[in-house]
Amino acid sequence: MKKIFLFIITLVLLTNVNGQVKKMGTSHSQKALICENCHSCSIPTKENPCLRDCPRESIATTKQKPEEGPDIIVINKLKGNQDIYKEVTFSHRLHAEMSEMSGGCVTCHHYNPPGKIIGCDNCHNSSRKREDVNRPDLKGAYHRQCMDCHREWSGGVECSACHQLNTKSPSKEKLITGTIKKSHAKLETPEKITYKTPKAEGKTVVFFHKEHIDLFGLDCQSCHSNDGCVKCHDQRPASAKPKMSVELKHKACSSCHDTKVKSNCVTCHNDKETNGFNHLISTGFNLNSYHSKLSCVRCHTTPGKFTGLNKNCNTCHGTWTKEKFNHKVTGLVLDEIHLEFDCESCHTNPTYAKPECSSCHDDYTYPAFIPGKKVKR
Amino acid sequence: MEHFFKPTPIQKKFFTPLVILISAVAINGLVFLLGRFVFGLGAVTNLNDQFPWGIWIGIDVAAGVALAAGGFTTAALGHIMHKDKYEVIIRPALLTAMLGYTFVAMSVMIDLGRYHYIWHPLVMWNGTSVLFEVGICVMIYLTVLYIEFLPIVTERFIGRVDLPGFLRKFNNIIDKLLRVLDRTLEKTMFIFIISGVVLSCLHQSSLGTLMVIAGEKMHPLWQTPILPLLFLLSAICVGFPMVIFESLISSKSFGLKPELDVLEGLGRMVGPMLLIYLTAKIVDVVIRQTYVHLMVINTESIMFTLEVMIGIVIPLRMFFSRKISKTPEGLFWASAFVIIGVLMNRLNNFIVAYTPPYAESSYFPSVGEFSVTLGFIALEILLFRIFVMIFPIVSVPQKVAFKTKYAVKGLFR
Amino acid sequence: MNKSRRNFLKTSAFMGASIAGVASTKTVKGAPKNILSDDRMGVLVDTTVCIGCRKCEWACKTSHNMPTEPIEKYDDRTVFEKRRRPNANALTVVNEFENPNGKFPIDVKVQCMHCDHPACLSACIVGAFSKEENGTVLWNGDKCIGCRYCMVACPFQIPAFEFDKAWSPDIKKCDFCFDRTKKGELPACVEICPMEVLTYGKKSDLLRAAKEKIRLYPERYVDHILGEHEVGGTSWMYLSSKEFTQIDFPKLGKNPAPGVTEAIQHGIFAYFIPPIAIYALLGGVMWLNKNRKQTEHGEDE
Repeated sequence: MKKIFLFIITLVLLTNVNGQVKKMGTSHSQKALICENCHSCSIPTKENPCLRDCPRESIATTKQKPEEGPDIIVINKLKGNQDIYKEVTFSHRLHAEMSEMSGGCVTCHHYNPPGKIIGCDNCHNSSRKREDVNRPDLKGAYHRQCMDCHREWSGGVECSACHQLNTKSPSKEKLITGTIKKSHAKLETPEKITYKTPKAEGKTVVFFHKEHIDLFGLDCQSCHSNDGCVKCHDQRPASAKPKMSVELKHKACSSCHDTKVKSNCVTCHNDKETNGFNHLISTGFNLNSYHSKLSCVRCHTTPGKFTGLNKNCNTCHGTWTKEKFNHKVTGLVLDEIHLEFDCESCHTNPTYAKPECSSCHDDYTYPAFIPGKKVKR
Repeated sequence: MEHFFKPTPIQKKFFTPLVILISAVAINGLVFLLGRFVFGLGAVTNLNDQFPWGIWIGIDVAAGVALAAGGFTTAALGHIMHKDKYEVIIRPALLTAMLGYTFVAMSVMIDLGRYHYIWHPLVMWNGTSVLFEVGICVMIYLTVLYIEFLPIVTERFIGRVDLPGFLRKFNNIIDKLLRVLDRTLEKTMFIFIISGVVLSCLHQSSLGTLMVIAGEKMHPLWQTPILPLLFLLSAICVGFPMVIFESLISSKSFGLKPELDVLEGLGRMVGPMLLIYLTAKIVDVVIRQTYVHLMVINTESIMFTLEVMIGIVIPLRMFFSRKISKTPEGLFWASAFVIIGVLMNRLNNFIVAYTPPYAESSYFPSVGEFSVTLGFIALEILLFRIFVMIFPIVSVPQKVAFKTKYAVKGLFR
Repeated sequence: MNKSRRNFLKTSAFMGASIAGVASTKTVKGAPKNILSDDRMGVLVDTTVCIGCRKCEWACKTSHNMPTEPIEKYDDRTVFEKRRRPNANALTVVNEFENPNGKFPIDVKVQCMHCDHPACLSACIVGAFSKEENGTVLWNGDKCIGCRYCMVACPFQIPAFEFDKAWSPDIKKCDFCFDRTKKGELPACVEICPMEVLTYGKKSDLLRAAKEKIRLYPERYVDHILGEHEVGGTSWMYLSSKEFTQIDFPKLGKNPAPGVTEAIQHGIFAYFIPPIAIYALLGGVMWLNKNRKQTEHGEDE
């Protein structure tokens, strides 16, 4: 009897597990993830996923301002009896500021759930002698975070950049406290950057940095997602810098501009410095407040092809009807009377720009009289 | 009138101009040897972490063992096959083997980093080690050789023990002891003779196995699992040529008539042996398809070709030629070629073929290494000369047939 | 005549027996040691993580009481201009290789691999090497006679020799910090490594971790764990972003290095039957020939 009972339980459990696995087959279990990183038990089910506190990459959304975090962190979790080096004072705020141009907080605080920041030693064992060897220990985790940038930055591996020997007098102390007080210089957006390229024709490329932000609505991260300190602070001699391939040089641009097509070169490469792009002057279509925030591809859907669109709204938007269009988005809520009319009754021109009141009202003009109530958009 | 051959100590002046020159070479070697013991191996040799073994192992030990093969081949021929005709060459061959192996042991000792531990293999055994097997076999064989040589010593001194001064009263006792020893040896000698042959077969072949463990580090032209067979075959091949070579040189040196009849007989047996050796070598190259390495010209391919041509093909033709193999000159050169061939083979196996992956430069022996190697060879020649002058080794034609006990001895009486 | 024959047989029998006795003692191994236990330890070297700080070199020398420069001097990267090998003064070294496609050069630590079937152990004339239960291949200076056959045998060309020492030179090679691990400490290089390039653990765990790494980051690693199968497996194993021959590892097969040699040895010495057989054969031939000679002689007279 007992045996049968056990058998049934096992059967139920097994089918249950199978079901779970099948469901997840299409989702995260296919991804490059280690089960144990998220699940504390060996067979997680939907009912009992036994999720750990930390690491779910897809929801790792730590985002804080640099000044929200601590100024310095004294790293002394690895203190032993016969240490070669003194404890390390880590200028956290400075590094947080530096990271703004690159990956942000998640550069280091990877696998962090939203909200609270969890310490490295939550996942990384502070003892090197341990059972689970799948993850680096705490010492390894620290150094792997630091060395990727530091090594690229200086081209060398100097321990003394962070560590001072236990035997030495604290002469370097000043240097480290100095760094703590330091702030990273405020990043300013340049108007434009002029590049001289080795191309014979079209030597000059002017990159209108402000324009790309203001006009095309890009934010820093859209381009500077993975720059690292070395982008600006490169101490290596020119010979030691890695050679960039043509592809790599155009990488930042090629997400919007098709840089593979020869005929597109002239868009950016010119013999003389050019003026910035103005949608109204160049095309006659004014990017008003609705469109200025959109990325180019929202309207110019064929990559690299920006011509051929006409100015009529219905080219992109289709035909608006009174049922489909919520007039509130324009900042004007129509009163009950006007709500009943078809769009075209007032908007006689195809750009829906200025409404015409004269078909019903003899003496009313827009915007002296408004057919409703203005609201905040 | 029939000649009776009897081994007799040769009475001649020891020093000749050539002997003086050889002595100089020996002394030069000993000077460098002193350097090795005072300043270490690194100071005298060109050995390093890439090339741990040099010519002291490649020539002194490996080739030394091979060229002392005359001892066991003649023992097999004379004692086991019981060909009485060849008895005259057994003693010189035995002496060569004994001296040869003594110097092999000495070469091993000077090459050992911790020579004071040379006795360790006797008590610390490692069954999987080829070197252990070679070492033990050589040690036992050396002892066997000394025992085989003892009857010559007893023969020399029985009835002639004549100690000076107060030691005179021991003369009788020593004489008696020698006689007892002689009788015991006579009854048991066959054990040692057979052991000698078995031990030789074992370590001659194992000397080849020695380099198999180097695996990829050894050039494929030589790296083969049948290396032990090739080593044994080549050792058997070089045994008689070595005896012929030596016999011709010593008879010239002592102004004796070479025993051409005997040497010719030996020569006739070399040809077929070389043929077997050549066949084995060719089959090996063909089966492992290593001939592709002969298509390119480099040190390895040249050395391999030279080794086979000089050491096997040319002497094979010479020994099979009726005309050449009947003249002393023909025999001398054919034998010399075989000896050079085997010498090259050992050198190739231990040094040329050894191409370690992280070598910064190739190995070439230093002046010190050459000096010590040549010095040891010179010493060996000098000792040989001394021994044949003291002991009855070289057979000299006698007018009268001796029927006394201490005449030419068969082993089973 | 009859007497001598009996004598001959008796003595031969005695010789045979004594040799057989030698043979049987020869095959007896030391105390039963489970050298390939599942719990044996190893190190996984992830060369894609190594930054070439050379702290392992310093730690190694320090823990083995070998002369060394102060730790600050190890920041010097000019040493990488030349390929270095472990030698009598350094049991481990780091070499750097160009990496045209990557951000950083590749750094590779070299030391004894601590084979599961060590060629040095098999080759050593006096059995001065031992494979310990924790995976260490250990050299014993009380036995070693300095013949350097281990150097000839080692497929990774690791053992070094103190050529400059006149009296009692040592074979020098990584000992997996046997004295430290015995006390439960980590090997010195493993302990100091800032990046944990060197992961110390049970060999089986390390293999699993390595395979997981390769599965998760196929663009980062070549699908090959050096030391999983090479020469029958090694305690130290390597991961790399490039083919191992490009970072200066020899190309090696899966068979244990001493395999062929031991097969030949066992063939020649199978229970000492072949040597004894040859002995008996030669004895027989000798006896026959001698008899024939004597009969001929007798007839002649």
